[in-house]
Amino acid sequence: MKTLKILTGVVIIALIVVFATGSINFGEDRENFYAADPKQERDYSETQKLEQAPPTDSDQTETISSEADFGYSIGDKAANFRLQNVDGEYVSLSDYPDAKGFIVIFTTNHCPYSVAYEDRINDLNKKYASQGFPVIAINPNNPQAYPEDSFENMKVRAKEKGFTFPYLFDNGQKVYPQYGATKTPHVFLLEKEKGDHIVRYIGAIDDNYKNADKVKNHFVEDAVDALLAGEEIQTKTTVAIGCSIKK
Amino acid sequence: MKRFIILVLVILCCSCKENKPIAQAQKIDREQFLEVLEQEGGKVQVINFWATWCAPCVEELPAFEQMSREYSDEIDMTLISLDDVDLIEKKVNPFLKENEITATVLLLDDPYSSEWIPMVDPHWDGAIPVTLIKNNSKSRFYNRTFTESELEKEIQSFL
Repeated sequence: MKTLKILTGVVIIALIVVFATGSINFGEDRENFYAADPKQERDYSETQKLEQAPPTDSDQTETISSEADFGYSIGDKAANFRLQNVDGEYVSLSDYPDAKGFIVIFTTNHCPYSVAYEDRINDLNKKYASQGFPVIAINPNNPQAYPEDSFENMKVRAKEKGFTFPYLFDNGQKVYPQYGATKTPHVFLLEKEKGDHIVRYIGAIDDNYKNADKVKNHFVEDAVDALLAGEEIQTKTTVAIGCSIKK
Repeated sequence: MKRFIILVLVILCCSCKENKPIAQAQKIDREQFLEVLEQEGGKVQVINFWATWCAPCVEELPAFEQMSREYSDEIDMTLISLDDVDLIEKKVNPFLKENEITATVLLLDDPYSSEWIPMVDPHWDGAIPVTLIKNNSKSRFYNRTFTESELEKEIQSFL
């Protein structure tokens, strides 16, 4: 009987210890969380937007978006820009009087999806610049959020990868919201028409970021080929996973 | 003595329950992914899309982990990683360990995102993070980031 009492005592103490350490761990977790998340107090109220999804699904899914409707749709006139290239020169769409259009690609150094496409972007420019559709790449990121995306690092990357196209820095982040780029890489195919730049395709370069050999649809190539042939582009917009652009 | 052993076992079980193990990312294909999206049951489904390379995702992940712990009886938290499948051992699992993530972590191994993104929501253009919260009667898609209190408020509106 005495042993039982002692045992019960031991058990109670053990239980207390277990719960106490449990709550101590829990407390530490919370501290870590706050330390890892210093921007908790960011205010979203101004940009929050509630929109009703079209009833395409069986269930009615509401969409809550932090981005207001912004940027271009197919057929819109795209604005010209004048941004600094990695060679120090400023580049504008009006610098290309002979171009039929442009493959404008928002891309960055840090984003693994962008990195996966670097060679393919080079290939696009090699293939289409001579046919009147040069590539113009723009880094839209805030280098304070991603130091890897600084102007200096852009120069390094452009040299390393032998970029044959301008790699411009959206200094002040004015151009990407105008276009409506949300992530990288994000392509806007423009066609010149009576002095304007008309948006003809928005979306991904192709449908397999990981393996260029396993691409099923070459969205941008198909779109440019259609424009060159004077035909209607079959797929005018596509979606793809990409790295969010950080303000 | 026998009784003592049983009691010790009981205590061990209790302490196990207190400390849920650190998650290991589990690779899923398109079919399994669609099953996750369709998943129903008594609990509220919270599905977050993230990746270790995505700074805003990493920033909000602790809030999801915290909700997963606090509301373990009410919600199923599923964190779907869009990291490269080749980086599970090198990057994703070490990240989960470092950040003490215990919620369910799945890694969608399907590079053809232009095909499956519209199956999640017609408004999603592929930027992450995004979150889907649903119960048997309603479903909401959030193309935004969350703080812990904002996420808790949303979850409560589904309980």
